[in-house]
Amino acid sequence: MEHEERYDDLTALFEAQDDALQSDAFVARVMAPIEKKSRWRTPLLFGAAGIGIGAAVSQIGGLWDVLKARTPALDVSFDTVQSAQVNVDLQSVWVAAAVVIILSCAAIVVSERA
Amino acid sequence: MGEKGHNVTADYDLARDAASGQEAAFETLVRRYQGAVRGLTRRLAARPVEADDLAQAAFLTAWRKIGTYRGGSFKAWLCTIAYREFLQARRKQKIEVEFDEGAHVIAFDVSATRMADHMDVDRALKTLPENQRICVVLCVAAGLSHAEASGATGFPLGTVKSHVNRGVAALRKQLAADHVA
Repeated sequence: MEHEERYDDLTALFEAQDDALQSDAFVARVMAPIEKKSRWRTPLLFGAAGIGIGAAVSQIGGLWDVLKARTPALDVSFDTVQSAQVNVDLQSVWVAAAVVIILSCAAIVVSERA
Repeated sequence: MGEKGHNVTADYDLARDAASGQEAAFETLVRRYQGAVRGLTRRLAARPVEADDLAQAAFLTAWRKIGTYRGGSFKAWLCTIAYREFLQARRKQKIEVEFDEGAHVIAFDVSATRMADHMDVDRALKTLPENQRICVVLCVAAGLSHAEASGATGFPLGTVKSHVNRGVAALRKQLAADHVA
């Protein structure tokens, strides 16, 4: 700090004024909009992350086979799921995954800048 | 009352925690510096209500930009933001920078003697030319260095020093006259 000359007499008066301005109500007023924004931030980020993880897991090749081998009782269910996926174009899966990733990144950027 | 003796490292740690999204850390900083920022905006703005709006806007800007704080005096960083909020609001609303003495409500919890001192210093501050008052408020009341005030206001360093010296001399003269009278 550069103070060639001290103004302690005046500074003390101003500091006493500033100290008298302490107010819980003002702190609450400042923090209210910050806390309001963060209420949706966490669910949004975790939601986006969950979708991203789900999309990533769905792309792991051979996972269905492993699960099928270990849980024969669920074969019927998995077969149904697989037969439904057969009709899905591989390119559209990648497009969907890209959209999820972009949306996740956008959500993070927007919430960080908010 | 404000926390006295807190060090720059503690402010830096709190700011870093706030930058990572910890609201509690930022709330501590708000609690710590609300007096300085509200005092600054009250000395610059025309009315206390308007001043508190500016102080709130300054803290919200600080929250958004907390990641840009790179150390040094957190109080000076905050007060610079508050001063810029004042300038921005004045440009937008064309605030007449004249003090409305009747509207200047001072919520001071102090003795009658100190209250009289506060009113004297407020009244004396109002008599200064605007640029002098700005430099005195930033350097003497908010504790910015001359260089920091120069950076915040855009005034050359020598001009800041000159404004502060003249402003302080005028304040002391005014206060001395008030005490004699």
